[in-house]
Amino acid sequence: MERWKQYLALVTLAGGSLVAGWFGFRATGGGLPWAKRAESALLGGLQSGGGSLVDITRGIIIAGPIRQQGLVLVYVGLFLIFALIGVWLYYRYGRQRESSTAERGGSRS
Amino acid sequence: MAHIHLGEGAFPLWALALWSAVAVILLGAVVYRIRRDGIESEQIALAGIGAAASFAIFQLNIPIWGGVHMNLTALVGILAGPLLGALIALVVNVFSAALGHGAVGLLGANVLVNATEAIAAYYLFQTLLGLDWDVFPASASAGTLGLAAGSLLMGAIIVISGVNGSQLPRSDLMIAVGGLVGLNLGVAVVEGLLTGFIVRFLASVRPDLVAAEEQTGRSGVTA
Repeated sequence: MERWKQYLALVTLAGGSLVAGWFGFRATGGGLPWAKRAESALLGGLQSGGGSLVDITRGIIIAGPIRQQGLVLVYVGLFLIFALIGVWLYYRYGRQRESSTAERGGSRS
Repeated sequence: MAHIHLGEGAFPLWALALWSAVAVILLGAVVYRIRRDGIESEQIALAGIGAAASFAIFQLNIPIWGGVHMNLTALVGILAGPLLGALIALVVNVFSAALGHGAVGLLGANVLVNATEAIAAYYLFQTLLGLDWDVFPASASAGTLGLAAGSLLMGAIIVISGVNGSQLPRSDLMIAVGGLVGLNLGVAVVEGLLTGFIVRFLASVRPDLVAAEEQTGRSGVTA
């Protein structure tokens, strides 16, 4: 497919989804965090609200239940364990790939 | 980013049993396919890193659309394949619920939602590559549509189950869920574009990790 058609399809998809997102944002309470928004909408119905789509001053924060229960260190520890396992697997794959390439090269010579 | 953020006891018992049973069937089929066909080593490596990234970003609330988190499940599905993608959805949800982010009783429903995102994104990505799309538009579109599929499933699960304590008649509940799904579609665009950029970057530096099915012959995880 021609490249401009691919990007036109992507822009159309993104535009339609953003419009749906904007209506959903306004209809479900405006500037509310997702958990509060879901609870209030599902228990009390739709309540329109305003607020900005992007609130930089709020910053990126760790999910409420983790912060409130003091589990930030556990979260960081779990992430580090996952990351170390991931990097180790990646390293093993790289080594395996190198050795199989070397074996193929050796068998040819 | 679809994720059912309701407390314990929000769904009736029959709904918990139903979604848990469906999730067990899905995961059973996934494990069976993995045991039968095996897994390519590069996908195990990607699955490990994908699980770490997905778990980390799952717990971070970003200041857009009022405050949402991303899942990276579409990215994980595209890179690690649908089978490992579904297992990563399980692992991330189990550890998130253990930290209090997501109810333990809703694990089955949330695993279904996130596994759907990974599986749908993978197959859409492969289909678009088969139609000769470039990597970025294919991965961004597949990511967005995969996440949209997860959002729709999340909405369907809530409407079918009903919510304990909600005074809303089923028709009003459907409208409320429609609003939440609509918001999710907006978030899906952001995560879909991020997925596109990451896959495009990986394709340029390590094309072997993002190769299309026919190039690698990934019989192991290409359901």
